[in-house]
Amino acid sequence: MKAGYRKERIDRGIKARADDIFAISSYREILYLMGPRLLAVVGLLLFPLFKDITGAYWQTVGFIACIIALLTLSWNFLFSVGLVSLGQAFFFGIGAYFTGYFNHTCGLAPLFSIPLATVCGAVLCTILIFPVLRLRGIYFALITFALPLFLMRIIEATGYLGGTEGISGLQRLPSLTFSVYITVVLVLAVTFIFLRLFDTDYGLVLRAIHDNDMSVLAGGLSVQWYKAQAVFLAALPATFAGALMTHHYRVVGMPAFAVEYSLLPLTAAVVGGTGTFAGGVLGALILVPVSEMLRAFGTLRIVMYGMMLILFVVGLPEGIYRFGQRKYFQFERIVPLEEKEK
Amino acid sequence: MLDVKNLMVFYENALAVNDLNLDVKKGEIVGVFGSNSAGKTTLMNTVAGLTLHLKYRELRKGGQRITIVGQQIFEGEEISNLSPSDRVKKGIVLCRERHPVFRDLSVEENLQLGGFLIKDQSKVQESIDLVYSIFPPLTKLKTRKAGLCSGGEQEMIAIGMALVARPKLLLLDEPLLGLSPVMQAIVVQALKDIRSLEVTVLLTEQYARPIMPHIDRGFIIENGTLIMSGTQKELMDNPEVMSAYFGM
Repeated sequence: MKAGYRKERIDRGIKARADDIFAISSYREILYLMGPRLLAVVGLLLFPLFKDITGAYWQTVGFIACIIALLTLSWNFLFSVGLVSLGQAFFFGIGAYFTGYFNHTCGLAPLFSIPLATVCGAVLCTILIFPVLRLRGIYFALITFALPLFLMRIIEATGYLGGTEGISGLQRLPSLTFSVYITVVLVLAVTFIFLRLFDTDYGLVLRAIHDNDMSVLAGGLSVQWYKAQAVFLAALPATFAGALMTHHYRVVGMPAFAVEYSLLPLTAAVVGGTGTFAGGVLGALILVPVSEMLRAFGTLRIVMYGMMLILFVVGLPEGIYRFGQRKYFQFERIVPLEEKEK
Repeated sequence: MLDVKNLMVFYENALAVNDLNLDVKKGEIVGVFGSNSAGKTTLMNTVAGLTLHLKYRELRKGGQRITIVGQQIFEGEEISNLSPSDRVKKGIVLCRERHPVFRDLSVEENLQLGGFLIKDQSKVQESIDLVYSIFPPLTKLKTRKAGLCSGGEQEMIAIGMALVARPKLLLLDEPLLGLSPVMQAIVVQALKDIRSLEVTVLLTEQYARPIMPHIDRGFIIENGTLIMSGTQKELMDNPEVMSAYFGM
């Protein structure tokens, strides 16, 4: 750069003061603001309609991507409260087994078994995680990593809930398009609700716990209780994802606790940008199809996948979403160094 | 010894240090005084190379853009683009503010770490003994964990660690921050001993009173801009300085 100049980064004129207050003066600016959101919402909602073009295979990939997106939303919620989870499979598996039990043993139709499993699963998850909520950082992560494996072995050893064979022959969902639609709508709804929730005073407390839980404690609030609530709220989309996936495939078994349901959301969150709900969804919607495309490379797929992750963590630690957001709402220009004052 | 010429530091678009000229001659103790947000810490971190390091780190993760302009010359050599470790090897050692120590290591181990870059172990031991003689209270605490020491003792450890690294130019960032008057007196007293070791000192402080009698020259900065400089006597004779930084 020339001497006496520096690069300056400034917000576009549309942004007024805060990150979420905008000065809008024309339709063009409204479009500028709404464009990316509309594109995401409309794109996702239209996706299931193009079944003839994409084929059932890619529709299923889209479905799984949305399931992972739900798990990622859940992961990001926990992260925003300062809990790093390595065990999204725990929530996923519990939701899956609950719906399997309700449907198979109690004979409830999916319409009831899925919501019931979602809530019951979230409650059970909260109760099971409650004793270790005081742990932080790597210790909490390790416990959550161990929990799904733990439950998996219990089911294997006791033979309860179908043991190694699982519960099969569950009632089916109407169609693939229906499944895709319901996950798409839920991904959008949960993203919206979580974003809104974190803007309320309640969300402020949660974010404060992430920043400095001792101060929250000093403020007279029970960190433990708020964390428990956060685990419950975060568990909801994940248990739902498990329940829905179970009915979609009409079987639930030990793979519901598989490590990939823990790792995929984690990597999706890293690729999208940790702590950003929309970023996590974006990460999941990119990662899952990409990992499908890499199937052509056979065993090398994992290598390619790993390389990609390393590149992201080293080269773009802020994540795709934050990077894109910055480029979209800010621009750079070269300005002279300020003249000496006084 | 150290020459800072037209230094400007921007954090994104905020100007932290504005066109600052500052020089430190060999053997001097020079004070930089200013209120909060005056740019003292930024100045120290920039001279020690930490701002440069932060700049690259922020660049990589897409955080705020830090711009550093101007010259930093140490013993006739341009050091603006040197990494912090290279600057330490050249003899610029920073003792950061709020007495940072390695909490889980004992006092002795902390001091030993200060001499990590020095190959000759006997020299390191010599320096550590020297630190104990400068700060007698530390002698009794050799085996205690640094995290369990009081703020004043931690400050002594922090300065001690910097001294063990055998600096030519010692940068002290707010050495008296949060210390009781008794502890302040010990640290100020240590400045005299440090001077006798032929170590040049550049220090910052908000409240000039306890330290003023021991400096040779002082610089007063406000909002990143140098507003006054002069010898100790000149500053002490200035009524404005007296009221603003002495509370008189």
